Amino acid sequence: MSWALASLVDAGLVLGVATMLCGLAGIGDDNADALAFGVVGAVCAAVAAIARRRVAPPERPTAGRVFAGIGLLWTVLVLFGAAVYAGTGSLGRFDDALVESAAGFTTTAATLLDAAEASRTVLLFRAATSWVGGLIAVLIAVVTLPVVLRSTALIGYTTGRRGMDLAPNASVGIRRVLILYSGFTAACVAAFLLCGLAPTEALVVGLGTASTGGFTGRVDSLAGYGTGTQVVAAVGMLLAGAGIFVIWWIARGRLRPLWRSQELRTFVLLLAVATAAMAVHRGVGWGEAGFMALSMMSTTGFAVADWTTWGTSATVVMLVAAGIGTMMGSPGGGMKVMRARLLMGSAGGELRRQLDPYALILVRRDGEALSQRTLDRLGGHQIAFVVLVGSGALLLGISGVSLLGSVWGSVSAFSTVGPAMGEVGAYGRLEGLDWSGRLALVPLMMGGRMTIPPLLAGVGLVLRWYRAAVRESRFRARLAIRRYQTRSESGNGDA
Amino acid sequence: MPRDRAGRRPEGAAPGPRQGWVASTTLHVIGISLAAVSAGMLACSLLEALTSRRDTAALAVSGLLTGVAGGLLWYLTRPGAIRKRQVFATVAWTWILITAVGALPFILAGTFAYGGAGLVEQVVNSLFESASGFSASGSTVLADFDTPGRGLMMYRQLTHWYGGMGVVVLAVAVLPFLGVGGLELVSAEAPGPSSDRLTPRVSETARRLWIVYIGFTAGAALAFFAADGFSSLYDAVAHAFTVAATGGFSVHAESIGHYDSVAVETVAIVCMILGGTSFSLHWRAVADRPLPYHRNSEFRSYLTMLGLAATIIVLLLWLENGLPLGSSIRAGVFTVVSLGTSTGLSNATGPGSPSDYVLWVAGAQLVLLLLMVVGGCSGSTSGGIKVLRMRVLGLTMLRSVRHTQTPRAVIPIRLGRDVVSETVVSRVAGFFLLHFVLMACGLLAVTALEGDLESSLGAVVSALGNMGPALNEAGPTSNYAAAFSQPARLVLALLMVIGRLEIFPILLAAMDLAVRGRAALRHGPVSFQHLSRRLESFTESRSDDP
Repeated sequence: MSWALASLVDAGLVLGVATMLCGLAGIGDDNADALAFGVVGAVCAAVAAIARRRVAPPERPTAGRVFAGIGLLWTVLVLFGAAVYAGTGSLGRFDDALVESAAGFTTTAATLLDAAEASRTVLLFRAATSWVGGLIAVLIAVVTLPVVLRSTALIGYTTGRRGMDLAPNASVGIRRVLILYSGFTAACVAAFLLCGLAPTEALVVGLGTASTGGFTGRVDSLAGYGTGTQVVAAVGMLLAGAGIFVIWWIARGRLRPLWRSQELRTFVLLLAVATAAMAVHRGVGWGEAGFMALSMMSTTGFAVADWTTWGTSATVVMLVAAGIGTMMGSPGGGMKVMRARLLMGSAGGELRRQLDPYALILVRRDGEALSQRTLDRLGGHQIAFVVLVGSGALLLGISGVSLLGSVWGSVSAFSTVGPAMGEVGAYGRLEGLDWSGRLALVPLMMGGRMTIPPLLAGVGLVLRWYRAAVRESRFRARLAIRRYQTRSESGNGDA
Repeated sequence: MPRDRAGRRPEGAAPGPRQGWVASTTLHVIGISLAAVSAGMLACSLLEALTSRRDTAALAVSGLLTGVAGGLLWYLTRPGAIRKRQVFATVAWTWILITAVGALPFILAGTFAYGGAGLVEQVVNSLFESASGFSASGSTVLADFDTPGRGLMMYRQLTHWYGGMGVVVLAVAVLPFLGVGGLELVSAEAPGPSSDRLTPRVSETARRLWIVYIGFTAGAALAFFAADGFSSLYDAVAHAFTVAATGGFSVHAESIGHYDSVAVETVAIVCMILGGTSFSLHWRAVADRPLPYHRNSEFRSYLTMLGLAATIIVLLLWLENGLPLGSSIRAGVFTVVSLGTSTGLSNATGPGSPSDYVLWVAGAQLVLLLLMVVGGCSGSTSGGIKVLRMRVLGLTMLRSVRHTQTPRAVIPIRLGRDVVSETVVSRVAGFFLLHFVLMACGLLAVTALEGDLESSLGAVVSALGNMGPALNEAGPTSNYAAAFSQPARLVLALLMVIGRLEIFPILLAAMDLAVRGRAALRHGPVSFQHLSRRLESFTESRSDDP
């Protein structure tokens, strides 16, 4: 488990420093909060820094351990966040704190905090959780999974040739991702400052944009902000949704891969279609329609209007957009554009194979033909995606959420969007749900954040333990019976 | 004329008058199917003439027109070599044509001419009702159940019965000389990932399936007749058609709720469960002994699924909806079986009754929605993705779980003792994905045509799964005319046919049309080379005959 520990220590260090900075930034607003967060952050960072010297990641961790480690990492982070919210009194109940923390780390724009009442420190900490969550998600997608899964035919989850370009090895990959992600965040914050936002607001919205977290400093998301702020947020969401590779290509001034990327072309095409569908059919303004399409596809969750009143077809467009989600290497969630493309290609191939069962039908990714085995595995993960979303909807329905709210809420939470039709609403307010509905969202958000393979690996580990336990208990029972028989036989012999 | 065992004409023998002029399996199958439908129309016109006499002319004229068209096609054509592409086109066009022709009696009788409906609306409603009937869905736009005559109502039930087993299967059963492509035709129409051949000869398999189907319908009719206290043979036969085809139409507005009888509901439950079971299994149960049901893993999964869903729903109704335990069991079990087998009958006695599931808690409605997606067993008359496919999908998912631990392991998927080939696994995964893509497209289309989200979601799932009633405005005590606009109803009708044929045939026929259209654009509608080639092949085929 040392890979998981090493990752946990690194994440703890980043989170500790971020929490400490939130505390420092809060001085003068709510000193009690500032002190509490500062101390917690300092302790966390110190512990992580000490542990970092003692824990070394293994050279070649197995896929199973890495997946299990990813699961453990997210769980510990969410529990840590919940402890901070509950411990500092920002949220009175631990279950509420757990939901808020899970929403933060999973970059889901659903909240229980009243932004108008919360202190500066708490708002910044909430934004920081989503930023750290986004960073970890990108690192896992760009560095961890490609390195670990290089030989496991799970190509739909790795980043292919362009991944090798950005992250030829783990240390270079981590450094580059950190620089790009931080630089992109700084650019967002600077742009928001130029739009006239106060420093705290600019920081909160900037962190929320870069990480696709979607938190803002107001209750009505970005609806009350000026046009300039909304345009900057839209550009930021486009880049965040397009992923770290696009940012890398832009930073390097390389336009050729931008043009040649099938995934980017599909992403832009889907955005254009979704915008046009809402604007033309429902008569929504092009600006608002485009913004909301971007918000859903990048799974950020910002809102500039109450889109739940736009009519059913517009909401279905947004549901589909949220389900498809972002590009590979983005901090956002969803099924991912590339996987949707591959799966559609695979389904199209099956259709053609009906006519010619022996036809050789190749599905390509950026010019690279994928094996049938890879496509089958992707299909298996797709089934898992649908099953998990369906189970989530069922869980929400049983916990008393309306039918529409259950279906929408499940898709939205699993894609780490946040806002949804029904009880949650356009601004991602969770007050409409009772405690069971809120808690039901936690596994969904975390499942969506972990992505399918680690989630399945977790299930696999549980199954393995279960089988081992059953085998052992059977063995013990058989042993006990034999002992009993031997004893009774010897007893009879004595008699 | 004497023929050999394969149905081939002996060499040198002169062609008889039944030989046909044009070699086209597509037109031939369409002809037989139309003739079969026309027989049903004429039989119902006879019933109408003997009972209410209101719609006799409409049924008789429709029957004659359809019969003449079908007979001519049958007489003038002969089955020829059929390619894979044509197989799907044949099945798709047959279904589209019988749906269109099946709407004739409703249009001519003015069944939907109430409430100031114009001709276009009447045609749309008739097409919807016909599509719902032949696809064995059971969604209805009929609001007035009292005006149409008994013959017309029986024809409505009969559309279910034809569609349940499939008119193409019927065509294959009566077409002994259709050697090439017979299996493909049956496979393209039959529900499930693969067709189960009972005998080496496809036509014999099709014939046996129809024998079981007819026997089952007769048994169900007798059971309904007895359960209703021998009061109405008409009702019993009508509902037998529905349960055998897992359709959902009833001759009463309140469906099975009209009787408010536990005995009738029990018979309906048993028949629906049997209707949702593979008919090959029924044949084996009749022909072989001991009973094969308990040995069939799909059947066991199907019963487990129904049992589990019924338990969850009964508990939710009892604990969350506050219904008494007895009412919860009665409403829950009937609705679960009805929707789990894709039948769509209802035992709700009216809006607000315990079985009116649109008033149930969201969790219960979601369980029903999931049941609508799954459907019954493969090889049955039910719709949905099918239990067998769901098992393969579940096992594929579990294999993915194991691959995360041992990425290079070769893990076969087994159903019982049999290993499922990777081709079938890929096909099932492709089908599943296409099903969801179609569902999303259908939802987009229906909501764009002014449907509310909850009703649209339910209706699209219901249409693709050939279920019948949906959610909210299109629930068990209301009808689709009130919930959806005319274009939306047409979209739903198309989805029903697509769902009945399990997606591939219609999509492939559409692809074929697109390819032909592109070729026509490139070379003109009919190129000279194409014409000369057709003429050449026609001359060759005639010159074979002395």
